[in-house]
Amino acid sequence: MKRRQFLKGVLYGTGGTMVALGGFGTFTKLAPQAVAAAKEEAKTVFSTCEMCTSRCTVAVKVKNDKVVKVEGNPHDGATAGTICARGNAGPSLLYDPQRIKKPMIRTGDRGSGKFKEVSWDEAYAHIADKVKTIQKDYGAETIAFASRVNPQDQFFRLIARAIGSPNTFSHEATCPMSRTTALEGTFGNPYIGADYGNAKYIITMGRNFFEGIHVPMVKGVMKAVANGAKLVVLDPRFSVTAAKGEWIPIKGATDLAFVMALANVMIKENLYDKEFLDQYTEGFDQWVEAVKDTTPEWAEKETGIPKDKIVEIARGFAAARPNALIEYGWRTPWTPNDYQLRRAIMIVNMMIGNWEVPGGYYQKKGAGVLAAFPDQSGYAKPTGGGFGPQPAAPKPAKGRIDGAGVKGTPGQLIPPVDGAVGQITESILTGKPYPVKGWFVHRFNPVISMPESDRLIEALKKLDLLVVCDVYMTDAAYFADVVLPECTYLERYEPIIDQSGLVPKLQLRQPAVPLVYADTKPGWQIYKELGEKIGIGDFFSFKDMEEFLTRQLQPAGLTLDQLKEKGFWSPAGMKPFFMRGNDPKAPAPPTNAPNGKIAIFSHEIEEAVKGEGIPKYKQYPQPEEGKFRFVQGKVAVHTNAGTHNVPVLNELMPQNSLWINTQSAAKLGVKDGDDIIISSGQYEHKGKAKVTEGIRPDTVFAYHGFGRISPELKRAYNKGINDNKLIKNEIGESGNVVTSTTFVTVRKA
Amino acid sequence: MEQNAKAELYLAFAAIFQRPRPEISDHLEELIELWAEEIPASRTQVQVLEDFCRKHPAGEKRLNTLWEHYIPLFETGKVEASPYASVHLNREKQVLGTESMAVKSFYEKAGYAIESNGELPDHLAVELEFAALLARDGQEEYLAEFKKVHLLPFLSVILPLIRNSGRPVYAAAAAILQDWQIHSEERG
Repeated sequence: MKRRQFLKGVLYGTGGTMVALGGFGTFTKLAPQAVAAAKEEAKTVFSTCEMCTSRCTVAVKVKNDKVVKVEGNPHDGATAGTICARGNAGPSLLYDPQRIKKPMIRTGDRGSGKFKEVSWDEAYAHIADKVKTIQKDYGAETIAFASRVNPQDQFFRLIARAIGSPNTFSHEATCPMSRTTALEGTFGNPYIGADYGNAKYIITMGRNFFEGIHVPMVKGVMKAVANGAKLVVLDPRFSVTAAKGEWIPIKGATDLAFVMALANVMIKENLYDKEFLDQYTEGFDQWVEAVKDTTPEWAEKETGIPKDKIVEIARGFAAARPNALIEYGWRTPWTPNDYQLRRAIMIVNMMIGNWEVPGGYYQKKGAGVLAAFPDQSGYAKPTGGGFGPQPAAPKPAKGRIDGAGVKGTPGQLIPPVDGAVGQITESILTGKPYPVKGWFVHRFNPVISMPESDRLIEALKKLDLLVVCDVYMTDAAYFADVVLPECTYLERYEPIIDQSGLVPKLQLRQPAVPLVYADTKPGWQIYKELGEKIGIGDFFSFKDMEEFLTRQLQPAGLTLDQLKEKGFWSPAGMKPFFMRGNDPKAPAPPTNAPNGKIAIFSHEIEEAVKGEGIPKYKQYPQPEEGKFRFVQGKVAVHTNAGTHNVPVLNELMPQNSLWINTQSAAKLGVKDGDDIIISSGQYEHKGKAKVTEGIRPDTVFAYHGFGRISPELKRAYNKGINDNKLIKNEIGESGNVVTSTTFVTVRKA
Repeated sequence: MEQNAKAELYLAFAAIFQRPRPEISDHLEELIELWAEEIPASRTQVQVLEDFCRKHPAGEKRLNTLWEHYIPLFETGKVEASPYASVHLNREKQVLGTESMAVKSFYEKAGYAIESNGELPDHLAVELEFAALLARDGQEEYLAEFKKVHLLPFLSVILPLIRNSGRPVYAAAAAILQDWQIHSEERG
């Protein structure tokens, strides 16, 4: 019989396609001596977490090649052996049956969810063919690349560089990029840290330390508060951080008015450090002029904060100088000119001279920074590149679609390394300044992370090629042509991670266990192999990550084994280094600062946009009666759009709700837990109401990252509110998205 | 049931519950013939499968249709019926749980090793393939023990999930396997 031919062939190994043992080749016969009981082997692997982008050091407990627990790294003083709930959830991600296991190619319409699994070679060949077609028909610049910032970006972005596309983007425009613009414009570089632990007075605007968790920073703020520091929290919502300090429910989008009023009071009452400003900064006179009319009375009308409270805070902050700080923010893109708020915050910080002193701000001390200080330079040497010699890359035929970095234009405000990622949507849909035809996405989920989800999906459907590399079938992957399964951070090496703060610190991410799903791969390998298939393999001239890491470490006089030992390296015996720690007049130049001075008036920003060299207040509309300002934020057990499908984290918080003030809800007849419809006018979203006194009556709030669109994210699908469905895709002045100027109405469903 | 037939049946189910591949897709009719011949109670499901084959002749389209259903059923995202035993039998509901390790140890005890860079040991298709090899080689004691300790507890959980998914081919194959391995056991 026919069937017997086929099945017998398989069963007895005579079918020609199967191994001699028979069956489908899954098994091999064991030699008798190998049947002995396996020894139980336990070990600890020191590595770096990736459950968010904070990159805490971790100790991965492994038993018989299985991760049984992830703990904080006890050798690391920054975390003191602590990790957060997300860090703890690493094994839950690692062993999740819902992870992507094989490369996939779409077989149905885009968004139909129909895929087939293919070999890596087929996936690479499919991508390479499409890339070559787009290059030929439209030009390499029409292929965009976007990733969540991560150490493997250098491999991902090398594909773009090697084919001649200038359009590389990070997720930063949706997060701290306006702060980056501010720091670059003020200090010449964005690598500025804050010493929370030694601060005696901390003012934070919207930065929610205890829910947007960065373990070392949380520990720093907790230490400060435990030591009696004053914590002032300006936020339209009563966040967990607000619960630990004095909550000031500021009117949305008016934070800059508050900061300028602080400056006004401090100047009027001579509560600033004139000597510091004279020695270390330039442009203070223009700032004095800019804030001469931003009185507490004026700010009260703008912010809703009583003028006496503003004066009280200004005096309290200044009295603690220089060991005080106004927090510069984390997820910052609230308004179109948010970068000027961040600039103003740093200017007021500099007014109390909190630069390079305990409890203030400091230049992060990588080895390159230490080189300028003879008594410190011996502690560390810079690392090198891992790639080896690089061929010349083709010059892109056109400039970037967002104009980032072009001197003398507003695009100069956009950090080119990050870019205005929202422009990708616009260029796909409008063809301006030229169309985007292909999009590579690495560990980034634009459908949820970028504003106006529906419009973004409309854009994705127009692409000739969408490639998504991730660990889950994310909302972006669901619309992809090719889905590439990356293994998790617990299964892969990555390039050296520089986490220097007050001392140099190099971290290692290394595999703790073998691959759980055999056909997943680390990002570096995926892009190296894809590069070879596209014909740009010469750019990836390293054998494997051990070789890459060794090349990186060699110039620093370090070895991979040294990094493996504790998962990180910091110079032995070096104490936290503040340039002005012992001498308040010591040289303390920020790296790359123009003229070696802190730029209160920024010539670079003035060059980009005339009249913006010093922060100016812009009044944004407030919601009229019946409407609410829609604001969003982080929650402690999830990371942006990344963790909502991780089993234990989903269990901890499967969905969000809309915070609405008790009085406002009563007017609408909405009760706690009611089903509601939120409308931005253009878009609507269903949700549940959380009625609370903990929010301003004119504001509503939702935690970010919920309401997932991909049905393939089984646990998170359609649960809660996707904030970005309601937010318009507006591109701010520094390329940022704009998160806090959307007004909505709310009604019972 | 004779030894060879039993081995072929296990292998046929291993074939259908592994990731779709062209040689299996193209021989689907042969698997159905085997089930029809050796498992009389499968008549209704066999008709469903034969209808599928008529509507989807062997070739790429059939293969893609199998993928269309295999992925959400077993592989990625929805994973309506995770094919890994430890997801169902262990409290953590994760892959590579204790059941996975226990199955791997059983393979070794019986003189088999699973490729370390291949499928996880407790994948439904892997367990069925192992049963096929035991049946083929007449290792009846091992087969009985494997069925009792590992395979049947797994099948009793996963087969209803596959059946209830209503996914073409897979639901019918699950029903036939359920009839052969679970109901026939119950009937003695």
